[in-house]
Amino acid sequence: MKSKKTKKARNTILTLLAMPLMATGLSIGSAVYGQAGQGLSAEKTSHNLFHLKPSDGAWKKAPMQSVDLMAQPMALPRPKLTLTEKMAVQVLHNGKSIAFRLSWKDPEKSAAGRLGLFSDAVALEFPVKLTDGQPPSPFMGEPDKPVHIFHWRAQYQKDKEMGRHPTMVDLYPNMSVDAYPMEFKDEAAPQGSESQRRMFAPGQAAGNPQSYVKTGVDEIFAEGFGSSSLAPEIEAESEAEWKNGEWSVVITRPLKTSLGSELKVGGKNFVCFAVWQGGKREVGSRKSVTLMWVELNLKA
Amino acid sequence: MSDVKNWQINREMQYPYEESRPQKQWSIVFDLNKCIACQTCSLACKTTWTSGKGQEYMFWNNVETKPWGSYPMAWDLNILEKLGRQDWAKNGETYEGKTIFEAAEPEEVAAHFFPTDEDWMYPNIGEDDCTGNLEGGAHLNMPHKHWFFYLPRTCAHCTYPACLASCPRKAIYKRPEDGIVLIDQSRCKGYGECVRACPYKKSMYNPHTRVSEKCIGCYPAVEEGKQPMCVQNCIGKIRIMGFISPPWKARMDNPVDFLVHKKKLALPYYPQLGLEPNIYYIPPIHADLEYLTQMFGPRVQESIDNYKTLKDDPVAQGLLVLMGSTDRIIHSFKVANGKATGYDEKGQEIVTVPVTEPLIVREAFDSELGAARHNTP
Repeated sequence: MKSKKTKKARNTILTLLAMPLMATGLSIGSAVYGQAGQGLSAEKTSHNLFHLKPSDGAWKKAPMQSVDLMAQPMALPRPKLTLTEKMAVQVLHNGKSIAFRLSWKDPEKSAAGRLGLFSDAVALEFPVKLTDGQPPSPFMGEPDKPVHIFHWRAQYQKDKEMGRHPTMVDLYPNMSVDAYPMEFKDEAAPQGSESQRRMFAPGQAAGNPQSYVKTGVDEIFAEGFGSSSLAPEIEAESEAEWKNGEWSVVITRPLKTSLGSELKVGGKNFVCFAVWQGGKREVGSRKSVTLMWVELNLKA
Repeated sequence: MSDVKNWQINREMQYPYEESRPQKQWSIVFDLNKCIACQTCSLACKTTWTSGKGQEYMFWNNVETKPWGSYPMAWDLNILEKLGRQDWAKNGETYEGKTIFEAAEPEEVAAHFFPTDEDWMYPNIGEDDCTGNLEGGAHLNMPHKHWFFYLPRTCAHCTYPACLASCPRKAIYKRPEDGIVLIDQSRCKGYGECVRACPYKKSMYNPHTRVSEKCIGCYPAVEEGKQPMCVQNCIGKIRIMGFISPPWKARMDNPVDFLVHKKKLALPYYPQLGLEPNIYYIPPIHADLEYLTQMFGPRVQESIDNYKTLKDDPVAQGLLVLMGSTDRIIHSFKVANGKATGYDEKGQEIVTVPVTEPLIVREAFDSELGAARHNTP
């Protein structure tokens, strides 16, 4: 743990660093991205880290660390104010997988669903590879220098817990509708097949993963703002809990993923964080982020 | 930001992307003097495109009563209030105020407001509500002392769409072949930025598929040379869909160019927002001029004057009867010998209609039968 004084100085440095970032955009040299301002370490454990709940006793062994976040400064639209300034982070690894326990204050639980509402969310970002020992831009990566993102949403967690996609009645309990195409109240009427019904749900018909049941956390590859696409395979898992105005989310991933990033015990690892306050309509590029890569040391 | 030409406000303006006009631009002209808010267009659209889950509240085409109606609630008041007072130059040629792109806060792409779900829940609020009650002894004069009119609205497939400009995923695109603006249903992540940014509120979030949707200009019909469902089904024949040219390329035998550029009858709505919207309205001649000027810009009086002299212009009359006379897209038209003819893109005749229906007078007394004629059986 760092002293109060160091912390204050670090915050000032971060703010000063953020200014030229805001002014010069992505053209800033990649060298800066490697100068990680904050450091984290992961404790070694023998626990199975998948399905580890935020309340699990295993977390008692992991020291409470924290990262500073700021309103995303690069791409429009961006938030006016930093809504999440700090996030508590605990990290455990067992040589095969790694679990992050992330907690931040969010007085208003929001899992989206209805019109104009958005989901609370958190994301981890890792470089897929280092170029000359340097990670790519932390702002969603760069062309040919992809980043690997693990994006948890309260909305996705809800899908996982229900084991299905929410229905319109889940979202609007008092709603009423006479009939949907190919799906009639009268059972004797000719009912359509699943694929016929899907034609009336454009996102599903187009195969958009957003329109299908989620498993808590999405894995995403990106090579710059607006370029993110879902990984073909999801290896990460998540558990979450909202209590007393605070989210605690555990995201567990293999150290070596089949398609994306790899974290090494004793090696140089980098991670970035982002948080969205859905209840305050943060979504997409409206988020709080760590402005630089955070060095992550996996203890042997 | 780029400087782009917006002819509707007669100046260059700021837009996040460069000017890139499509080969053809989808467009609809509505004659508001004829709309009776039967909502046949709304239903034609609804049954064709938005009968599924998550689309219950959606009206890609809606008809609202002005001034009290709006869908979603107060979309127009909200964006006008955001912009605050803005003015056109005294001669009425150039807009000197700020567009929504120019008025955007530094963190935003466009000045906007974001409707909640309650705002979407009253699609017919204010329907048929007049501006006020008539006092005893009131009589009709022009413009009417108390008034309302109906405003049918689809997506305007803008030349400078705010939805497209604001999408952080670049999931919205404008087709070069016909200018139709579409949301890629496979790429959208439902951030709702387009719902926030579109000042006309014609992007809508589907809570079932968790992505946003909008009017698709009935592109499958347009690709086959047919007009959109809302136009085909308009029983009042108040609409015509075609392709509008910018004024410097206007072709006088193109129905939309003729109504907008030549006759100066049809005007864009809220051109001051800076999107160069491509739905055009022939303003109602009976409503308050200040209100109409706010909505359609400073050329409203000119348009109303032109509308009142239509009886002396057989060509314009011919075009107005061609409206609603065919399901197909009229690329050019000709009026001669009391007949109006519409042609397709290849110059093939689609339809011919008489400019004036023949008038047959039946005498009250049938002398052959020695009987009086009644209107009732």
